[in-house]
Amino acid sequence: MTSPVLEHRDEDIDEPAKRPRTRWLVFGIAGIVALFVARVLTSHPGTIALPNQAQDFLTLTISVIIESMPFVVLGILLSIAVQVWIPDDLFLRILPKNPALRRVAISLLGVLLPVCECGNVPLARGLIVKGLTVAESMTFLLAAPIVNPITIITTSQAFGFTGGILIARLLGGFLIANLVGWLFSRHSDQQSLLTDTFAAECRMPPRAEQAGTRWQKSVDLFVHEAGAILPALFLGAVAAGLVQTVVPRSILITVGSNPVWSILALMVLAFVISICSNVDAFFILPFATTFLPGAIASFLVFGPMIDIKMLALMRTTFRTRVLVQLTIVIGLASAVVGLVVNYVA
Amino acid sequence: MSRDRLWLGILRWRGVALVGVAIVVTIWLGATNQLILYINPQYIVFTLVMALIALTLLVASFIVRAAHTHDDDPPTRTQKVTTVLGGAVTLLLAIAMVIVPPATLSSATAIQRDVSASTVVSASQAVSTSASVASSTYATFTVLDWSTLLRQTSSPGFYASKPANVIGFVTPDADDPANLFYLTRFVITCCAVDAQPVAVPVYLPNWNTRFAADAWVDAKGGFVSNPSTKSSAQIALVPSTVTVVAKPTQPYLF
Repeated sequence: MTSPVLEHRDEDIDEPAKRPRTRWLVFGIAGIVALFVARVLTSHPGTIALPNQAQDFLTLTISVIIESMPFVVLGILLSIAVQVWIPDDLFLRILPKNPALRRVAISLLGVLLPVCECGNVPLARGLIVKGLTVAESMTFLLAAPIVNPITIITTSQAFGFTGGILIARLLGGFLIANLVGWLFSRHSDQQSLLTDTFAAECRMPPRAEQAGTRWQKSVDLFVHEAGAILPALFLGAVAAGLVQTVVPRSILITVGSNPVWSILALMVLAFVISICSNVDAFFILPFATTFLPGAIASFLVFGPMIDIKMLALMRTTFRTRVLVQLTIVIGLASAVVGLVVNYVA
Repeated sequence: MSRDRLWLGILRWRGVALVGVAIVVTIWLGATNQLILYINPQYIVFTLVMALIALTLLVASFIVRAAHTHDDDPPTRTQKVTTVLGGAVTLLLAIAMVIVPPATLSSATAIQRDVSASTVVSASQAVSTSASVASSTYATFTVLDWSTLLRQTSSPGFYASKPANVIGFVTPDADDPANLFYLTRFVITCCAVDAQPVAVPVYLPNWNTRFAADAWVDAKGGFVSNPSTKSSAQIALVPSTVTVVAKPTQPYLF
């Protein structure tokens, strides 16, 4: 029963353009229309009434998805550009040869590619496929959401130069990304840092050498990356929504004025809230009256690199062990940034 | 082999289905002007443009297939178990996204986020110069404007002859739930996940015989020393009229 199906499939692979997949098109569009119809039919308030907490959990979870989705799509588009449209060796050619300088240059790439953190995951995956080492790609992933024109503008609008928060954020983000890049570059087997699934993908021939037009490859890559990122985004959003519904905010606020605890409290808040780095400065601004500047700086450095949603997204690419190490190193380093700011300010 | 192929097919179509759900829900919310229940209005255009691009690519994926299908390695047993568990959660969420009507955050989140201890500050010019503005201006003050003033000064003299007219939803006070409620709004920076409650205390004995928690009300009156002895708020709005109103089309403040 299975072999004719496989033969049919192979034919399909050999002559992709000749067989328009009308059947799939009809199914697909019918599916999209069915979703629209279901959404319209159930849209009347009160159709399904959930208890307050369950409804709020759902609202928070959906808001994480709707807020992140455009950035994920943008990140996938940039990843497609890097993998399919930009000449193979362009990135590798223009980067410095010295490993440390190379990581420094990579950590400044965010200035050119201002995507915030959830969009950076597909892009970082694309960069690894394209030939950057895992450590180099990590440096990009961690630095780009902070060393990025939009983040710099919003942070300076929110805080100006008060308390050294802007400088601490930029310098801290840059240094931590390079520290992590250096640490992981010392690992002798870079591929072993990746999940089996993603490592297998990296061993595939480069997309430019695969058959098919660039448009075909772009569409295929979109489906593939969306398939890897979206389940992670949904799970990350559920976790973030759940924690926010269950843990009372007052627990964090009561420790605001202690130089050490306030830093840890805001790092926990950053971890839980999983907010986008382009706007987190505005979010944390009202807390500046309750919390010390060092705690705000730690929030702004730690949040873009590590939070519930990011860990779920990064799990598509890196092994759990690597994520634990990343979280510990970045957590400690972000706390140090906060302590330095509290000491100096 | 065929089972592994089936498995890989399911993984591929799971991604496609989730993209479809996220896109359909986003576009429908945009078309019905309800994206503001989830994100700040300034991101609506960007969100919709990206959703339309994603929709185009999704439809294209039904027609186009790359010549090389880069199949992943067959999954291990553990991978299958975690994928099935995670898949069940994502499937439930996807269904809920499609069939549960959109809603604003409720008093449960206002209480969870400590409504009486908010530190959000109004950016309104009229608030910073409030001592000198005309009394008609006070009628336009939002819950955020008043809560900013209440944090700045608790002198009853300041509030004399400053009439208030505010709309928000009802969150019961923790200390004196029978006589005092917080008229609440959420302020959103980026999306509902960062919503911070702002509120003004309203003193209205036995309010819960007239409306329930979470009801949207329009309260008119003036701020005086809080008559409630149990509540910690120093100044409270004592309303001359409280009317139950429909939820505003823009329930959040930005």
